[in-house]
Amino acid sequence: MTGFDDHEGDLEKALARLGRRVKFAEALAQGGSGGGVNVDTRSTNVSPGPRLRGVVFRVWTGKRWAEAASSDLGAPSLDATVAHLEVEVARGAGTAPVPGASSTTKGTWTVRPKRPLSELGVDGTITLAKEILGWATAVSGIVEAQVRFNWEDDERLYLNSAGARCRQTVVRTHVAVAPIAMENGRAEYDYWIRGCCGGLEGVPGLDEPSIRATANASKELLHAKAPPAGETDVVLDESVAGLFAHESFGHGTEADQFVRDRSYLKPILGEMVGPEFLSIADDGTFPGGWGSIFCDDEGHPAQKTRLVDRGRFIGALHDRETAAQLGAQATGSTRRSDFMSRAFVRMTNTYVEPGTSSLQELLAEVKDGVLLEHGTSGIEDPLGGQMQLKVKKGRRIKNGRLTDLVGSMALSGKVLDFLKAIRGVGRDPLDSIEPGFCGKGHGDYIPVGTGGVHLLSHAIVGPA
Amino acid sequence: MTPKTAPSDLAYRIAERIKTEPPWEVAAERSTRYEVHLQGTTVELERGPITVEGYGVRLFRPRGDRIGTGFVASTDLSPKGVEAAVHEAETTSHHAEFPARSVELPSQAASGAEVAIVDPKLWADPARAVREYAEALLRPFDKKKGVVPSFGSVKATLSELTIANSSGLKVGYPSTRADLEFAVKAFGGPEGAPPGEFWATESLRRLQPETAAASVEAWCRYAADVRRASPPPSGSQAVLLPPDVLSGIILPVLGFRFTGAARLRKIAPEVGSALAAEAVTIRDEGDYPWSPGSQPYDGEGTAVRKRPVIERGKVSELLYDSLYAAAFSTRSTGNGVRRSRGPTELLGFAHPPSPGPTTLVIAPGSGGSVDELAETARDGVIVTQFGWARPDPISGTFGGEIRIGYRIRGGKVAEPVRGGTVGGTVLAPPGSPSLLADVKAIGSRASLAEELVSPPLLVRPLTVAGA
Repeated sequence: MTGFDDHEGDLEKALARLGRRVKFAEALAQGGSGGGVNVDTRSTNVSPGPRLRGVVFRVWTGKRWAEAASSDLGAPSLDATVAHLEVEVARGAGTAPVPGASSTTKGTWTVRPKRPLSELGVDGTITLAKEILGWATAVSGIVEAQVRFNWEDDERLYLNSAGARCRQTVVRTHVAVAPIAMENGRAEYDYWIRGCCGGLEGVPGLDEPSIRATANASKELLHAKAPPAGETDVVLDESVAGLFAHESFGHGTEADQFVRDRSYLKPILGEMVGPEFLSIADDGTFPGGWGSIFCDDEGHPAQKTRLVDRGRFIGALHDRETAAQLGAQATGSTRRSDFMSRAFVRMTNTYVEPGTSSLQELLAEVKDGVLLEHGTSGIEDPLGGQMQLKVKKGRRIKNGRLTDLVGSMALSGKVLDFLKAIRGVGRDPLDSIEPGFCGKGHGDYIPVGTGGVHLLSHAIVGPA
Repeated sequence: MTPKTAPSDLAYRIAERIKTEPPWEVAAERSTRYEVHLQGTTVELERGPITVEGYGVRLFRPRGDRIGTGFVASTDLSPKGVEAAVHEAETTSHHAEFPARSVELPSQAASGAEVAIVDPKLWADPARAVREYAEALLRPFDKKKGVVPSFGSVKATLSELTIANSSGLKVGYPSTRADLEFAVKAFGGPEGAPPGEFWATESLRRLQPETAAASVEAWCRYAADVRRASPPPSGSQAVLLPPDVLSGIILPVLGFRFTGAARLRKIAPEVGSALAAEAVTIRDEGDYPWSPGSQPYDGEGTAVRKRPVIERGKVSELLYDSLYAAAFSTRSTGNGVRRSRGPTELLGFAHPPSPGPTTLVIAPGSGGSVDELAETARDGVIVTQFGWARPDPISGTFGGEIRIGYRIRGGKVAEPVRGGTVGGTVLAPPGSPSLLADVKAIGSRASLAEELVSPPLLVRPLTVAGA
């Protein structure tokens, strides 16, 4: 039910009415459609996904920002929403200029998947999901498996009183397989996951050998040893390195934290923070990246922003306001979860760029340590500079060789200490971005991608 | 002021337009949200009203000896929109399969519990209530030195959920909810340590500005303690977990493993099995006052009741909605919950019901206060806040970085700790170590934290990874 053609005229009228009262007004109409197919051994569930849409208006009152939103795009509702904002403007009017530069970008963009899930249709997707389920459950000891296909069309129309008009439709596809092994009342699983901006062309490796290997890995986790507890050398796999990039230099460089005087990175902008073979970037234009967008929710085009360049911390992510306050340019990083949520400075696809070492060379550096695999989550600490990374599993490293499988772990440490302790960065090409969702504080989840290469450092790890 | 409107009858009106075969149900919601966002002591952004009206239609269709369920949520209230949603639900039901022959939806006969879930002051004037609460959060800082607010938000949502179904059910209820986020930063001082921050988040049913000062006082103390904290020593130790921490650990694991959904996937515990220490008793109480998980009816319109989940360490009962109850030829326990994490978590109508807890209540024990529990522990760690404990509902593992906590030395609460990790397993087969099995003492006073009511629990041992 998305498509804003029927409402664009009313939205423009509402925006013009606001524009007569304030120095700047903008509107973001947002709607989503999509769906999912979930299959396990007992059930098949097809969910079309919520058909939600609405519009949020934001105005500069001369003192602060004010917003109002509605799920009803009809003219009477738009009038009522605008009327609420007019009352707010009258209540809190000031004379301060609008912070930052207003976008004047105009454009229409659409992701066109090469292999859209719609080509398979619901029946075809179910058939494929059941085939995958069969691959997983054919492995003895697998009692259950969950196979999930999800797709989303996120449509956004941004208009502002400076003349910007940005219309974008971003299609995302996500596939996850989790074979569950059970023994003596204990359940464990490993998983296979891919997601992209686009269609099935961005989900490579969805084949029987990969799924059987995942199922066998689930079984092995039932007998995994306890991970080490304490300080140790750590090698992060590609997914965990991506989480590291996201939690450390991603959240730490969201410049609203600079303005809040809440980033441990603010005082060291421009300084060397790590070895010369370490570079980290956020890239909203990464081809097929799960977090890729055409433009942000202030109408600024997406871009690649180098955060750490050969060990030097050089850049941050900006919206119009932080850019103005800190003498920078907006980086296409302003994102709203949906029309109900406020805009924040956010990441898109954040990753560690390839370095100079092979995995064998990194492992050879470790006398006693652990390889952390399959990052599952992380959390930042923008002021304190701590980070937590959680992983599904790992391998002990003894004298440069991978040994025992160990179960889920958490890594804890101060980012700057972790950076100083980096002794090597993998040189394999960065060929994929992992899908994830990121919250900012209490909610406001958006799709973000992470990626990376193997990375050797030192930290505290423990079972988790 | 919020415009005065008649109580919502949205689901009933939509139900009148549904001409399809039973069984079906529609849950509709009208919600209005107001927000104040703070940067330091300044209001950075005011938002509201954010109004959303939408509905979810679910129907069930026989497919041989199974049924297919179809569910569609939409904000398109037009007759054509409703027709399209019902049609799409029909279409998807033809592709779906669930191992039950039929589903019995609740009828009008059941009456819901009296539950305190509407804050009258918040309902009457939400914009003013969020502003007043934000002011109450900031007021203590007039007299404070060396500690400032770094950012925060107060969000209030007024919701009217209505449910109607093909069995003639028509129920509805209003509710209020507030989500708080507030970070305070401690700095300066003779020791010259880097600044420290404590970042609090809470979900509530009511806003009580008169209690804000006490909360701020505690948060400021934690922020100051962050500055002098260091990682605890590594090892298996006694760990004292307060309700705020337990809610993030216990709810996600028991919330899945103790349901019909887990039973269907063969990963629910056996009823009668001894999974917890004998002193542990846990109930599901959908009518617990002021809990964000409480409501008079579940998401299918079944009246909520108090249900035993674990009694004296043994599994008493699993939780079911109508669909999963049908799979096991039993009855719904009033636990069809419409919520999930993610962008639409506050929109009940956007999610089909699935079995889960309402409010879990852990019965108080005889362990006394936190100080008395520390005395019992003798040595160990109190975790006041994790980075994110993020339990895994299937494996049951949990753990994360200590954001702030305290050493217990010689039975006394001692210096602050920060960094390092604490982890373990919430739930394990009988005879295996787990958080619930290794509860050594239970505090005497329970408090509400999100959708869990719990006293502090002393668990020994859990693995601490630190210096």
